[in-house]
Amino acid sequence: MAQIPNLENSPLNLKFLREQSQRELVNILNNIRGKKCLVIDPKLSGLLSLIIKSTILKENGADLRHLSAEPVDIDCTKVVYLVRSEFSLMRFICSHIHNDTSKGLQREYYVYFVPRREVVCEKVLEDEKVHNLVTIGEYPLYMVPLDEDVLSFELDLANKECLVDGNTKSLWHIAKAIHKLESSFGVIQYVRAKGKASVRVADILNHMQAEEPVDTSDMVMPEINTLLLIDREVDMVTPMCSQLTYEGLLDEFLHINNGAVELDPSIMGVQQEGKKIKVPLNSSDKLFKELRDLNFEVVAQVLRQKATSMKQDYKEMTTTNQTVSELKDFVKKLNSLPEITRHINLAQHLSTFTSKHSFLSRLDMEQTLIEAQSYDICLDYIEELIHKQEPLVSVLRLLIIFSITNSGLPKKNFDHLRRELLHSYGFEHIAMLNNLEKAGLLKKQENKSNWLTIKRALQLVVEDTDTANPNDIAYVFSGYAPLSIRLVQQAVRSGWRPMEEILKLLPGPHSETKRGGFSSSPSFDTLQGASAAVDRVADGRRSLVLVVFIGGVTFAEISALRFLSAQETMAYDLIIGTTKIVSGNTLTETYMEKLG
Amino acid sequence: MSWTEDQTLICIVQDGTIYRYNVHGEVLEPSFSMGKECFEQNVVDCVFWGNGVVCLTEAGKLFCVPDFKEIKPCKLAEVGMGDEELPNCMAVIEPQYTVSGNVEVLLGVGSGIVIVDEDEVRFIDEEKIGGVVLKIAVSHNGRFLACFMHDGRLVVMNTEFRDFFQYQCESALPPEQMAWCGLDSVLLYWDDVLLMVGPSEDSVSYIYDEPVIFIPECDGVRILSNTSMEFVQRVPDSTVSIFKIGSTSPASLLFDALDHFDRRSAKADENLRLIRASLPEAVEACIDAAGHEFDVSRQRTLLRAASYGQAFCSNFQRDHIQEMCKTLRVLNAVRNPEIGIPLSIEQYKLLSAPVLIGRLINAHQHLLALRISEYAGMNQEVVIMHWACTKITASLAIPDAALLEIILDKLKLCKGISYAAVAAHADRSGRRKLAAMLVDHEPRSSKQVPLLLSIAEEDTALMKATESGDSDLVYLVLFHIWQKRPALEFFGTIQARPLARDLFIAYARCYKHEFLKDFFLSTGQLQEVAFLLWKESWELGKNPMGSKGSPLHGPRIKLIEKAHNLFSETKEHTFESKAAEEHAKLLRIQHELEVSTKQPIFVDSSISDTIRTCIALGNHRAAMKVKTEFKVSEKRWYWLKVFALVTIRDWEALEKFSKEKRPPMGFRPFVEACIDVDEKAEALKYIPKLVDPRERAEAYARIGMAKEAADAASQAKDGELLGRLKLSFAQNTAASSIFDTLRDRLSFQGV
Repeated sequence: MAQIPNLENSPLNLKFLREQSQRELVNILNNIRGKKCLVIDPKLSGLLSLIIKSTILKENGADLRHLSAEPVDIDCTKVVYLVRSEFSLMRFICSHIHNDTSKGLQREYYVYFVPRREVVCEKVLEDEKVHNLVTIGEYPLYMVPLDEDVLSFELDLANKECLVDGNTKSLWHIAKAIHKLESSFGVIQYVRAKGKASVRVADILNHMQAEEPVDTSDMVMPEINTLLLIDREVDMVTPMCSQLTYEGLLDEFLHINNGAVELDPSIMGVQQEGKKIKVPLNSSDKLFKELRDLNFEVVAQVLRQKATSMKQDYKEMTTTNQTVSELKDFVKKLNSLPEITRHINLAQHLSTFTSKHSFLSRLDMEQTLIEAQSYDICLDYIEELIHKQEPLVSVLRLLIIFSITNSGLPKKNFDHLRRELLHSYGFEHIAMLNNLEKAGLLKKQENKSNWLTIKRALQLVVEDTDTANPNDIAYVFSGYAPLSIRLVQQAVRSGWRPMEEILKLLPGPHSETKRGGFSSSPSFDTLQGASAAVDRVADGRRSLVLVVFIGGVTFAEISALRFLSAQETMAYDLIIGTTKIVSGNTLTETYMEKLG
Repeated sequence: MSWTEDQTLICIVQDGTIYRYNVHGEVLEPSFSMGKECFEQNVVDCVFWGNGVVCLTEAGKLFCVPDFKEIKPCKLAEVGMGDEELPNCMAVIEPQYTVSGNVEVLLGVGSGIVIVDEDEVRFIDEEKIGGVVLKIAVSHNGRFLACFMHDGRLVVMNTEFRDFFQYQCESALPPEQMAWCGLDSVLLYWDDVLLMVGPSEDSVSYIYDEPVIFIPECDGVRILSNTSMEFVQRVPDSTVSIFKIGSTSPASLLFDALDHFDRRSAKADENLRLIRASLPEAVEACIDAAGHEFDVSRQRTLLRAASYGQAFCSNFQRDHIQEMCKTLRVLNAVRNPEIGIPLSIEQYKLLSAPVLIGRLINAHQHLLALRISEYAGMNQEVVIMHWACTKITASLAIPDAALLEIILDKLKLCKGISYAAVAAHADRSGRRKLAAMLVDHEPRSSKQVPLLLSIAEEDTALMKATESGDSDLVYLVLFHIWQKRPALEFFGTIQARPLARDLFIAYARCYKHEFLKDFFLSTGQLQEVAFLLWKESWELGKNPMGSKGSPLHGPRIKLIEKAHNLFSETKEHTFESKAAEEHAKLLRIQHELEVSTKQPIFVDSSISDTIRTCIALGNHRAAMKVKTEFKVSEKRWYWLKVFALVTIRDWEALEKFSKEKRPPMGFRPFVEACIDVDEKAEALKYIPKLVDPRERAEAYARIGMAKEAADAASQAKDGELLGRLKLSFAQNTAASSIFDTLRDRLSFQGV
């Protein structure tokens, strides 16, 4: 099965987007004649694998290499760099070129910036005096479809850059990406934003629309009705909790990277020496599509059922006489056997983690924190984790939940725990502590927490969740309904207005704008009045809401959104845009810039 | 001297200097030279084509400017003939018609024709051509040559020099001028006599009593005399078919029918019936003839004839007439003597409407240009933009505010027009204030900001850039200001703008460390400087030169201490200050440890790790010392020591340690550490000592002792725990039955 997801069932024509990106890349390669070495920024390479097969690149005469400090050691006169426009990457390119010149090698260098060239990067090249040796181009890749309902802008540092460094480069990128979507699918009429970064993106988006209006003349009806921008800062609690859906757990323990996990072959029951194997995980796998959003508890049951029924069929097959059509059915079922085996293997591997004592007590602790009960037990627990020198990220995740739900740590505990952290893990983590403090994720308590009010108003804790037949999004965390998704639920249902009071308790401003894609048409007002009816477009498709998470979203949250989307009473299909798919670990790691 | 495609007059003088003039006779700076060689050798002849020129020097060398848009003179291949012998004539084949894509020059020399291009000379000898060539003209499509021979023959051949037409002229003297008239006839001019040859063997001659100049066009030749301009062209076929005396072609009959119709004669119908089958062609011919017609009333009649005929055609492309009307209106408008651009329809088609508009605005006929572009449904941006720029240049006397209003009024007409471009022009015309006012109206930040920079409005530029949210623009402004202003002023500027400041910091963190320190110092952010220093200390440590134990630790520690001092300057950073102090101390101790143990494994590990390493090495005294130095809590100490002892599997020491005194949080660390490394026997030593029965139950469960676990759980009277334990023993039926009985008993007791 391919890693490139099948996008046939997407509510939006994402295939078109992907093909466009594909074409653009092939064009770039074709415009540089002859054999060439394509040096790819490692962070891009996984991404490219979601767009284009590497064989196609090779067909176009490109040898692939990853960009690193090591010089490009290949017999090739043309070197094409494909890099994100990060100035820190320019160093490598400069050192490569200097290295070549010192050896007397003459090469043609091309640097293609993704998604666009930037003054800073060119300045670095200029300062290093290699500017006139390279030909500079752009590869405008602003987003990639990860699956039929998920788009990623691939900005893994967005959250940290916004909160700590005040670098809002990513916000422009997001706005540009949405603007690009609008130019293919029509101007989005309603924009709702919550959080500082979100409101800013909405601003920039309007600015762009004013600068380069989307040509609406040949569009009948915009395909996306509403844009919902949610800033990760608004809800940092959810990503810090351990995800309990199948896909979420896979990400927590095995780390899903660009729609695939890498595993030891032994786990998948393959006898193969050394090399890890890649297991693709996307909706092209029918069984995975069925399982991914379920609570892990249920996954085991479903798999068991499937296996048993398979066995039953097999038994019948060997004992009784079958008609040809029954045989056919059986063979069809057999075809799904590899998928079942694959997921049984994966689930079994996961359960070795989930049955651990430490995992269970950790879940307990998370629940306690969210219910805002007995903080002392939690503090003791966290301190003990530090003493035992448990992995730093897992300690930080709990600390962050603590700090946010409690609006900071009491001064005494704050200093004490920070000292213990430095002592246990080393003084180099002072920079990280500083980052977390700047971002407001780990801070001193200054005022009373309003978490209890929020929790009650948004019904974040749901008792008696039936994970097998869920009736609420809380099933994804076995009892905790993610705050971010509650906001989406409310916003889609009734907009911000009924919940202004609660919104004010959460970080950042909120905004709600109606944009005039059709403002020129005289029937505008009547069109609005009838919008509820018009929403169900003639061909039976539901109209779309694009939910964009600035700063990343977890698989568990995506599952919750899919759950919402699947509800009968829901008037919209949801498409998810995110700067990156994150887990508590990856999100926290962005803050862990070491001094050394 | 010649006009280029964009109507610049190019003049080349003897020394090879190129002067350029616009349509208003103003010199365009700068002028160019054909090069030093050309300067020395004197230019004797030039041949122009659309956008280029070839010059012949006295020394017989050829120089070429392939494109006047980008004047780069280049030398063509050497012909290699005698100095004194110059070619009889010269012509060029335009680059667009040659195989190589470069211009080819044809020289008629004594013994044939020489073809020269950029790097090659080919010689075609006399015999092949059949004589000495005295004059050459290349047809408009670059495929045919007309050559006048020494014996008075006019030979037409293709570019492979295969002749297919000959005509014997009365004079053997070469004509003064020779030009193609359309693609099928050639005009020759001797004193007073103009001879038109072709397309068949016919020729026509005209007498002129004043000297004339030929200007070849695509469909004919303009003849310029002192008093008038005439246009010679072969009469178009459609016109011939209609107006030829006695013509009975369908078109002619249709035209006639209209005449009868107007006179209400029944003959109209008769005519129509005659040509019924070929009516569409007749209509086409009328439309075509109307197009070629210069006289407006006759155009009208022809078009009426066409529309009259069209009414009787069922399937005719109706928009042809409409299109022709549009085209003719445009042509008639520019043919107006006030405008003075008498174009034929073929010329107009070749020229294309945008170019015509370009010429009009060059001639300052903006209104007409605007109307035409509006009429032809084209973007009016070009016209308005040019108008605005010209207006600015021409209105030196009008004050800025008034002029701004005039210009804005017109710019409003066109959506999406670049205000920045107009503003840039205003700036170039020395009206900086006007430029600033104009650029303010530009909606596109990406255009606005660079211009603001160029008119030295850096602060506005910075503001606009930050507003746009485009970090790239902010950087652009940032680097500009950085270069222009002294450091302190620069710091002040960016300090006021958080986005700019943060972006600067991000860049400087990577590439300008020292400068960043200056910035923080100047703005009083001492803690940030301290962090930078601290960071530097690690870089020193990473440096391969500073391999462990070298004196480089001196400067490292010094940097950290400096950071410590800076932190202590402000009250808010006592924690960081203390941490820095401790870090320095730790490094010293680690350094000593490395010296005393001769093992480079301590530096840059954490305090906890240092303690563990010491214990693992059996150096309990050192461990104790570190513990007291950093006031390590008892709790942490127990965890660390237990883990360290378990790692080296020193069970004896572990047991001794457990009995030293009552551990601060019981025996849990001992149990957990042993279970972690899967030493059940060791764990069992400590499990019974756990005070809480629940913990005991779980510990038993973890090492698989179901019965003991169940007992402990029942002691705790915790039903939920029992259930959970049962689940984990689910595979073991014997064990799970134990749980069932126990739970039943519990529930009886009503717990």
